[in-house]
Parts: sequence; C-alpha cells; structure tokens
Amino acid sequence: MNLPDSKQPDSKQLDSNRPDDDRWLERAKALLDDSAGNLDAATLSRLNRARQAALATRRKGPSRWAWSAALAGAAAAVFAIAIGLHHQGGVPLGNPPPTLQAGDIDVMTSEDDLDLAENLDFYAWLGKQPAGGPSG
Amino acid sequence: MAAAICLMAAFDESRRELGAGDESRSLDAFLRGVERRALRMAELATGSRDEALDLVQDAMFGFVRHYGGHDGAEWPPLFWRVLDSRLNDWHRRQKVRGRWSFRPDDKDTDEDPIALAPDAREPGPLARMADGEATVALDAALRGLPLRQRQAFLLRIWEGLDVAATSVAMRCSEGSVKTHLSRALANLRRALEAHR
Repeated sequence: MNLPDSKQPDSKQLDSNRPDDDRWLERAKALLDDSAGNLDAATLSRLNRARQAALATRRKGPSRWAWSAALAGAAAAVFAIAIGLHHQGGVPLGNPPPTLQAGDIDVMTSEDDLDLAENLDFYAWLGKQPAGGPSG
Repeated sequence: MAAAICLMAAFDESRRELGAGDESRSLDAFLRGVERRALRMAELATGSRDEALDLVQDAMFGFVRHYGGHDGAEWPPLFWRVLDSRLNDWHRRQKVRGRWSFRPDDKDTDEDPIALAPDAREPGPLARMADGEATVALDAALRGLPLRQRQAFLLRIWEGLDVAATSVAMRCSEGSVKTHLSRALANLRRALEAHR
C-alpha cells in the first residue's frame, strides 16, 4: 500500500488493493458529505454558539491589560526622566537630595495615568526647566 | 526612551488588535468550514451527538487558544490534531470507567488471501444499496472500526488530508497512517459486504 502525498487526494489516487475501491469510496464520501450537510437546526445552532465562544476567547486578548501596563510604565519612566534632567540641570550641593514625596506616590498610583500620559509633552518640558522654575 | 518604548508597545498592541480582527474572521471561516465534519467524526467515535458537540466545542477552544495564531495554511492538520486528541482522551476515559465496548483491535488478522482477492466484476460494497440504507450501513461499519483506523479513513479519504498531514493530525508516523488506512479499508469492505 503506497499512498502518494497530495493536498486533496481523491480515492483514485489511493493505491488500494481492490479495483472497485474508487467507486465505493466515492459513494462513501458522498454519503458522509450528505450526513454532515443535513444536520438539524438545533445542532447547527449549538455548533455556531460553540464556534463563537471559542473565537471570543481570542478576541478578548491582553489588549486592555497591555495598555494599562504600558501607561503605568510610561508614567514611571517620565518621572525617572524628570528627576534625571533635574539632576543634570544642577542641584545646589547644599540642598537635600530629592526624595519621593507622598504626593508623588499619590500621582503614580492614582487612576489619572491616562491624563498623565496625554500630557507627556508638558512633563518633558517641565523637566527641562531650571531648578528655580520656568521663566516667563 | 523607556516611555517611548512603552508607548510603542501599546501602539503595536493596538495594531495587532486590528490584525486580530482579520484573523478572527479567517478563523471563523475555517471553523465554519470544518465544524460539521468534525461533529460527524466525533459522533462516529462516541455514538452520541451531545458528547460529540461537547468534544467539538472543546476542540475549537483548544485549537483557537493554541494554534489560532498560526498561519492559516497550517490550520487543517492542527485542528484535526486537537480533535483527534480529544477523541483519544474520551476513549481513554470510557475505558477507565469500564464502559469500553469490544471493538476489533488493530492487530493483523489472519486474512484469507482468496477471500480478499479482487473481483473485477464487483461494483463495490455500497453500490447495490439505496442511499438511506447505505448511510446506515456505512455508519455502522465506521463505528465498528477501531478509533485509529476510523480516524485514518475519515481524515485521509473524507477530509482529504495527505499522508503527511494525516500523520500530524494523528500524531503517528506516515507508515502508521498507511497501515491504519489499509486495515480500515479491508474492515469496512468486509463489514459492508456482510451488511448486503
């Protein structure tokens, strides 16, 4: 029995051991096709629900989680950049090193991350200003 | 820089989400195309439409979860592989529960070569039956096959997978696929001829 590889083999391509295999296998395929094509409405409805439920698991995906994580990361990064730029601008030696204030914690953990992300330009600009505050 | 990377990741995620819409439509079309045959295959294996529906649903979930992101050209053998796995699990559970009914095993039988000799005048075992009768006979003959032989027959002959794809679906060698199919054809022929 040597079956050739092909994408859609029909029974003629099967090196079967009977000369009439072609005919009855074609009939068998047709009967199976009919049985699959004549399923009742209730069964088809259940199949449809099963398919939609399976697809829904893929649609959900991690997008909401990914956005939240990205925004939280962005907020933390902006603070880190702002602090770094502040140091580069030159902090008087006499001043105590900047520490994370309770207010900063509130900002970082608040639900206003979205606003923070939307104002990234502002915070970047703010970080570039001299320690004494923005002029003009 | 870190902020930019985070925002790019989020943007990339949203782009991926847009692409996932197309992918979902492709998956939907693919599953719609195979679900009826999958149900019949499971029904032949379990003898129960309810159990078959549960198995097909389970197979759809598993397929979408594990292989939904694969290239569409790879989906057919992978879907049948998931369903085949579910059918094997179902049979194993039945065996454990002691509800395993006797089926002819996969071992070679001492076949009479004269009885198996081809008869060129014979139109085939299903030729003389009306459609309704032939459907019942074919169902009974397929249910009488061992699981692996039935799967080889249905995947290879009905679903039209080639030997390599069938071996992927059944997680066995190509040689085993050919052996299972050869035995399935012989057993089916014998069962259908007896039914006549």
